[in-house]
Amino acid sequence: MSRSSSVEDLPEQCKDLFTQDGVLLKACLGRPVTDLNSIGMLCIVQNQDNSKTIEWRPNDLITIDSDTQDQEWAVVNTIGITMSFAKGRRQRTLSGNITSDYATARARIIKIPIEELKTFRVTRNNQQMQFSTKPGVWQTTFYFQHGNAEIFVAYLKNHVKTAKTRHDRNTYVVVEPNIESQVLNKSFAELDIFTENTTDVVWNLVSNFKQRPYETTMEAFSKLTDIVYYGNEGVNGKRDVSEEVVDLLTKSMNAMEEATTVTKSDEYEVISVKPTLPPRPSIPRGTPLSPEKWWALQDTEGRITEVEGVKQLIFRGGVAHSIRQCVWKYLLDYHPWHMSNAELKALTKKKTEEYFSMKLQWRSMTEGQEARFSEYRDRKSLVEKDVNRTDRTHPFFAGDNNPNLVILQDILLTYVMYNFDLGYVQGMSDILAPLLLLLGNEVDSFWCFVGFMDKIASNFDMDQAGMKHQLLQLQQLLTFASPELANHLAQKDSGNMYFCFRWLLVWFKREFSHRDIMRLWEVLWTSLPCANFHLLICVAILDAEKDILISKDYGFTEILKHVNDLSMCLDVDKILSTAEGIYHQVVSAPHLTDQIRIILGLPTMSNSTSTHSGSDAPTTSKSETNGTKEDQGTGMFGQEMDEDTLEYNGLQICIVTKTVWALLA
Amino acid sequence: MSSRKKALLKVIILGDSGVGKTSLMNQFVNKKFSNQYKATIGADFLTKEVIVDDRIVTMQIWDTAGQERFQSLGVAFYRGADCCVLVFDVTAPNTFKSLESWRDEFLIQASPRDPDNFPFVILGNKIDLDNRAVSAKRAQQWCQSKNDIPYFETSAKEAVNVELAFQTIARNALAQETEAELYNEFPDQIKLNANDNGRNRDGDNCAC
Repeated sequence: MSRSSSVEDLPEQCKDLFTQDGVLLKACLGRPVTDLNSIGMLCIVQNQDNSKTIEWRPNDLITIDSDTQDQEWAVVNTIGITMSFAKGRRQRTLSGNITSDYATARARIIKIPIEELKTFRVTRNNQQMQFSTKPGVWQTTFYFQHGNAEIFVAYLKNHVKTAKTRHDRNTYVVVEPNIESQVLNKSFAELDIFTENTTDVVWNLVSNFKQRPYETTMEAFSKLTDIVYYGNEGVNGKRDVSEEVVDLLTKSMNAMEEATTVTKSDEYEVISVKPTLPPRPSIPRGTPLSPEKWWALQDTEGRITEVEGVKQLIFRGGVAHSIRQCVWKYLLDYHPWHMSNAELKALTKKKTEEYFSMKLQWRSMTEGQEARFSEYRDRKSLVEKDVNRTDRTHPFFAGDNNPNLVILQDILLTYVMYNFDLGYVQGMSDILAPLLLLLGNEVDSFWCFVGFMDKIASNFDMDQAGMKHQLLQLQQLLTFASPELANHLAQKDSGNMYFCFRWLLVWFKREFSHRDIMRLWEVLWTSLPCANFHLLICVAILDAEKDILISKDYGFTEILKHVNDLSMCLDVDKILSTAEGIYHQVVSAPHLTDQIRIILGLPTMSNSTSTHSGSDAPTTSKSETNGTKEDQGTGMFGQEMDEDTLEYNGLQICIVTKTVWALLA
Repeated sequence: MSSRKKALLKVIILGDSGVGKTSLMNQFVNKKFSNQYKATIGADFLTKEVIVDDRIVTMQIWDTAGQERFQSLGVAFYRGADCCVLVFDVTAPNTFKSLESWRDEFLIQASPRDPDNFPFVILGNKIDLDNRAVSAKRAQQWCQSKNDIPYFETSAKEAVNVELAFQTIARNALAQETEAELYNEFPDQIKLNANDNGRNRDGDNCAC
């Protein structure tokens, strides 16, 4: 029932000429706040009377019949309806069965007639677009979560003649609406296979081609086969296929071949589409958490309540150096966020006593005891060796008889007593050195070190299981995010990713200066935007080296050398920004697998479907649950939130809006 | 036949943490010593061209982390080694005692073609220090008992015997290469025949 009504509501005469999904409604004059910050699809629609409209539809309205949809074709559903799809495939169904819901959702659609469009502008790295039908007022603001507005603008400019304003290169003034592109339709007009407006067909082909070469080509090709099979009658055209069209189709076929793999089996060929990731958004880094903001975030007794908001800020921009001493204690779980100043004072006293009692355990050991205690002696000997070769070029640790080396050693030996089973493992002195350098204080450094070690203890397993597991996860992530590079590495005996061992063991300590490692670590300590973000840092660094590694055909030894030589040549902010971009690419990929979800700590699909198993609900309600899940799972920037943070959903949205938007605005 | 000789020699340096593996490698390749070297994490290598009996060969010297638990990953780098250098610290008897297990572990993991004749060289490092604890005699005896492994007493810090040791390493690795090639002429042919026979048998089976 709902299906038929939806078809009536959206008559086929209205067709989508271009659609872009993952577009966030940021601002709209005259709309209630509740309508904002929801995700939808921005479209250019051709109406019955040939006029065109820019339309934004909230996601909960655009759910697709799941019975006509399989995974490969799911991608197609966002393509315009002008093509030869069976009717059923393009039918829109609504997410709820209740008509009033539907009406409410329909009312949330935003329409901007192109004829009335006066100006538009593109800002924020081409990710934000604003429209105006009245000079001086930006009525609507959209944020492109997946990729940017470039393709949308390119397509829009095909329908309106625009000019850039002199004072602002990002603002376009509409000079003349409804012009048609003359260049590209020519060849298709000659072919005369499309009864519809050729401009739109060509543009659908060209614009969709970039994102979906396979499907787009197939659509165009189905037209061509029509000619072959049915001759001229069926298509009312001349057989004279112009060379330009041949060129275009050849090009698209080539691209299709690149995007597909053919596996020969005994009796048939399996042609699979190589899935590609959505374009990488470039997300600018923010400014460090300032002392003013930090103090403002504390209540009168020193408690920090908006923990998630603070973490978001730190994730975006790090911490100002002057307050690192204070903030790091929270990030490293030494100071609990919700403790008042008085409680923290008591805690510090207790922790100081605890530290010195553990220190006394080894300090009070006699020579004889030590001689009969080989397990302690071995650990001590390792500590002594490594302390003498930890960051000795830094002034803080340089020179003979440097007292800071004594503190470094004391903390590590006390840690041996704190966790004798783990003891001392090479790499720990690297982890501790920046903490001591920053905090200066023995007790604080020790407890912050304990906090850091709790996060990465598995790196130091006796059997190295933790490291092996991470190298495997890294390989899996890279295969998903950068298959070409992963393939090259596999061919060169480097699929085990051992060349990233040093990066992972000490969280990139050897790759950056002290200043930069402090920034990187504090961002990683927030555990945002997902689990194992440090693996995405690896992917980001490797992705930047991809062209060199592949084009120079580096083998096992050259890869290792190249990666080792990147040390101290890396730009921490650029890498963080790239890693975040890759994160968004990965989580918004239609072919995201459970394997990757698990690595990134996201809820898996199999889990979510199992909760619905057993219900023989109609397909509409299945697509409803999917839609709802997506809505819950996708927060700001398409960020996935796990169930824990869902509890703070309201709070998180509020904080993110206040802080992150403030930084971006 | 000399044209078939490999111009690249892969050398692996092994030994306990802090015995001076990185320092020896740097002293040999860069003629430098620093007491600011960091503990090696993962693996790294340096290359150097040397002349052995009028031949130019490139030595690729691999340095890995010394702590025991990291060896399970270090073995990835053993493959294709032409020579293995075992280092101990003459002031630390434990590092001398570990030589045996380093050698065994290497032979198991690298599984060279001819384990009994695979070239090892032992270096007793840090002879510039006063607190010596392993005598030259004791080290030499052990080396003799292990199929006469060449032994050198070195100081990476003062560049004592480093050049000489690595020259020997290169020469022995090259000799090993040559011997391997000599061996190859015969056993490989026999192997090839054996393979062919196997293949023929398979073919017969298929034909039936």
